[in-house]
Amino acid sequence: MRVQLFVTCLIDTFFPETGEATLRLLRYFGVDAVLPTEQTCCGKPADSGGYRYESRKAAEHFLSVFGRSTDPIVVPSGSCASMVKNHYPELFRDDARLHAQATAVAGRVYELSQFLVNVLKADRAGLKGRGKITYHASCQLTRELGVKEEPLALLRSLDAAEFVPLPSADRCCGFGGTFMAKMPEISMALADEKLDTILSTGADTVTGCDHGCLMNISDAIRRRGAAVQAKHIAVVLAEGLA
Amino acid sequence: MTQDAAIDLFVENAEKAGARVVRVSSAHELNEVLSGMLEGATAVYSPGVTPTEKGLAIPPDRSTEDYVNASACVEEVSAAVAETGSLVCSSQGGKPVQAGLLPGHHIAIVAAEHVYEDLDRFFAALGDAPPTNITLETGPSRTADIELTLTIGVHGPDRLSIIVV
Amino acid sequence: MSLPTGSIPFRENAAQAIRNEALRAAMRNATGVFAVKRADAVSAVPLEEWRDKASETRLQVLDHLADYVDRFAKSAVRAGATVHRAKDAETAREIVACLLKDHGIQKAVKSKSMISEEIHLNDYLEKQGVTVVETDLGEYIIQIAREHPSHIIVPAIHKDRRQVGKLFAEKLGCAYTEDPAALTKIARAKLRQEFLSAEAGISGANFAVADSGSLVIFTNEGNGRMCTTLPRLHIAVTSIEKIIPSVADLPKFIRLLPRSATGQVVTTYLSMITGTRKAGEATGAKDLHIVLLDNGRSSIVAGEYREMLKCIRCGACLNACPVYQTVGGHAYGSTYPGPMGIILTVLLEGMERAHTLLDATTLCGACADVCPVKVPLPRLLRRLREQRTEMGLTPTMERQGMAGFGMAAKSPTLFGAGQQAARLLWPLARKIGVKGTLARMPIPAEQPFRRRIS
Repeated sequence: MRVQLFVTCLIDTFFPETGEATLRLLRYFGVDAVLPTEQTCCGKPADSGGYRYESRKAAEHFLSVFGRSTDPIVVPSGSCASMVKNHYPELFRDDARLHAQATAVAGRVYELSQFLVNVLKADRAGLKGRGKITYHASCQLTRELGVKEEPLALLRSLDAAEFVPLPSADRCCGFGGTFMAKMPEISMALADEKLDTILSTGADTVTGCDHGCLMNISDAIRRRGAAVQAKHIAVVLAEGLA
Repeated sequence: MTQDAAIDLFVENAEKAGARVVRVSSAHELNEVLSGMLEGATAVYSPGVTPTEKGLAIPPDRSTEDYVNASACVEEVSAAVAETGSLVCSSQGGKPVQAGLLPGHHIAIVAAEHVYEDLDRFFAALGDAPPTNITLETGPSRTADIELTLTIGVHGPDRLSIIVV
Repeated sequence: MSLPTGSIPFRENAAQAIRNEALRAAMRNATGVFAVKRADAVSAVPLEEWRDKASETRLQVLDHLADYVDRFAKSAVRAGATVHRAKDAETAREIVACLLKDHGIQKAVKSKSMISEEIHLNDYLEKQGVTVVETDLGEYIIQIAREHPSHIIVPAIHKDRRQVGKLFAEKLGCAYTEDPAALTKIARAKLRQEFLSAEAGISGANFAVADSGSLVIFTNEGNGRMCTTLPRLHIAVTSIEKIIPSVADLPKFIRLLPRSATGQVVTTYLSMITGTRKAGEATGAKDLHIVLLDNGRSSIVAGEYREMLKCIRCGACLNACPVYQTVGGHAYGSTYPGPMGIILTVLLEGMERAHTLLDATTLCGACADVCPVKVPLPRLLRRLREQRTEMGLTPTMERQGMAGFGMAAKSPTLFGAGQQAARLLWPLARKIGVKGTLARMPIPAEQPFRRRIS
C-alpha cells in the first residue's frame, strides 16, 4: 500500500524525529510512504487567526501538491488533518472548482492514529512500549475529527508499558495556535493545569497526536522542572519497534 | 404508560426534587394525613375554591384568610406532571397562585386523574389560551448562588408536601 | 449610556484575573460542579435528538422573525398586555422609566434579567430617582457589592462564601457568617419586605410564546413568581429573538434549558404569564407592559451570524470554556461573557470595541459540545476573526507576519528559506532577550525533516 505523508510544518521544522518515527512506523507495517518535498504548511495558523486570504494560499498549495495522486494522505496531527478535512471545503465555499478539489482531497485524509488502527490494525500488532504513559486528547482531533478511541487502543495495546488515563483528558491545554502567542498568560495557566493532571497520574510520559499541544505542555514541564516527558504518539510507538 | 405508572413516576420524581409525597384514597384519609402535616402550623391558609378544598378539615383556630401571614398553605393544585415531578398551580377559577409561594410550608393536593405523563401531554392540553398564570412547581424553593452550595428555602417555601388523592 | 471609548483590554484584565487566587478557586469550584451536574443530567436522555429539534424550532423563528414578533405582540395584547417595541437600549430604558413615572412609582423589585443588564437599566433608573431592588440572591449580592454579574446564570459565581459574608456584614449590618444557608435567610428576610411593599415588578423572560402571548420565566428561588404576581404593575423587558412559536414547543426548551444551565431536570418554578388579571381572578398584575428589545437583532438575523440568535442563554458554554473557567466573567468587560458572550458582544457593541475578545478563545470547541441549540460557536468565532482581519483591526506586525506566511506557504523554496532563517535567528533572538512565545518554543532543528530524508 502507498500513502502520501503530510508531515506538517511543525514537525518538519522543530521535531524531525517525530517525522522519522512516523516513517518507521508506516514502513514497519509495509506501507510505502511517499513524502512530497514541495509540501509546506496546511494553513491552519492563518485559518484560526482569521487570515482567510493567507490560509487559502496555503490550502491551494496543499491541494496542488497532494491532488496529484489518489493515495491516502496520512497526517501525524489532528489539527492539521482536520484543517484539510473540515476547513478546506469551508474555505473554498465560494469557488466551485477548488471546493470540489478540496472535498476530494478531504476524503483521502487520515490522522496517523486513525490510519494505524482503522486501516493497518496496528493495535493488534503487539507493539512494545515502556514506562507509564498517559494521553492528552487534543481538541480538533477529538471534536472535529471524532478520533477518540484510536490513540487509546494503540496505547492500551502496548506490551510492557502501562497506560494510565488522564483526568479531563480532552480539556484544552491552552495551545490554540496563535492563542499561545496572543494570550500567553491564559495559555500558560491552562498548560499548568494540564500538567497538574498529568502529574496526578504518576506517568513518566504524556503523549498525544498533536505537536502543538505537546509543545505547550513541554513548556509547562520545563518551567516547573517536572520529571515527565511529552512525546508524540508516533515516537512512543516507534520506540518499541525492533 | 398507564395512569398508575404515571402516578408512580410522578411520586418518584417529586420526591427526588425534595417534596414529601403521600397517597390517599378517601376524603377521610386525606383529612387525617392533613391534620398530621398541619401539626405545629400556626396559621393555615386554604382558598376553599374547589370541592376538595371546601371539604378540608382545617382547625378553625388556625385557619386564616391571609396567605401572607400563614405558616402553611393548603390547596388543591390543578394538575401534576410525572416526567418532572412538578405540580401545576393555575390561576384559573380565581386561585391566588402566589398563595402557595409565601408560607413556609406548601401542602398541595392533587387528584390522581390530573397527573399527566409528560410535559408534551400537559402543554398540549393547556393549548394556546392559558390562564393568566400557570406555575410549574418542582420541589421547595432553592438557590445555589453562593459557591453553588444548595440552600433550600429562599423566597418560596422550604417545605413542599404533596397529597395525591 | 454611552460605551467607554476604545477596545476592551481583555488581555490585561485576564492577566490580572489569573493572579487572583480567590477568583481562580471560586471559578474552579463552580465550573467543576457545573460540569458534573450537567453531565449527569444529560446522561440518560436522547440529547442529540432534543438538540436537533430545539435548534430547528429556533431557526424556524429566526427565518421569519418579524412575523413572529407581530404574532407575539398581537397575542399579548389580546391577553391584556401592552406591548412596546424598543429599537435600541436607550428607547427601552426610557419606556421603562416613563411607565414607572406615569404610575408614580419610586421603587421596583426585579427578578434576574440579562436583557436589563444589556441595556444598563438599573443605572438609568437610579439616575431617574427610582430604587430598583434585585431579588435573585446572586443579583442581590452583586447589587449591594455594586458590581456586575460575571455569569449569566450565577451572577456572583466569582465570589466565595467569605466574601459574601463580609459584604453582608458590611452593607446590611448583620453579624458575620459564612454559612450559605444563614446568608440566604438574611437576604430572604430583607427581600420579603420589599416584595410585599413593592408596587412594580420588573422581569425579563426566558421565552415569549407567539401564539398565546405568554412570557415564560424559569427561577429556583421563587423571586420571579413574586415579582410578577405581587405588585400591581409588571414590566417585562425581553428581546425579540426569545420568541418560540407555540405552547406546544415549550417542552423542548424546558427539557434543555435547566439541564444545560444547572443540571436540573427543571427549575423549581416555571412561570407562564399570559396577560393581565381577568375578572374573577386573584392572580396577576393589573397592568402588564412588555418591552420587546431589538437592539440590532433584526439586522443580525439577516446576516451570516444569525445562528447566534438561537442562543437560549443557558450558560453551558461559559461553564465548558477553559478560558472562562480560568479568568471568570469580569475579564471580558462586557455584559455577556464566555463564548456566546464574545460573539454577542461583537455583534451588539461593534467590532471596534469588542474585537479584542476574539482572542479570548482557543477554539477548542468545548462550547459547541454542550450548546443545547447547536449554535456553531467555533465557526462563528473564526468567521468574526476573519472579519476583524478584513477590517484591518489586527496588529501590523501580525498582519505582516501572516502576509509573509501566505507567500511562504505557496512556495517551497521560500518556505525552506524561512525555516533556515528561523534556525539561524532563533538563538540570537533569545540571546538578545526576546521573551514570550519564542522562549516557550524549542529551537528549530538543525535540518528540517524533509531535507533529512530526501
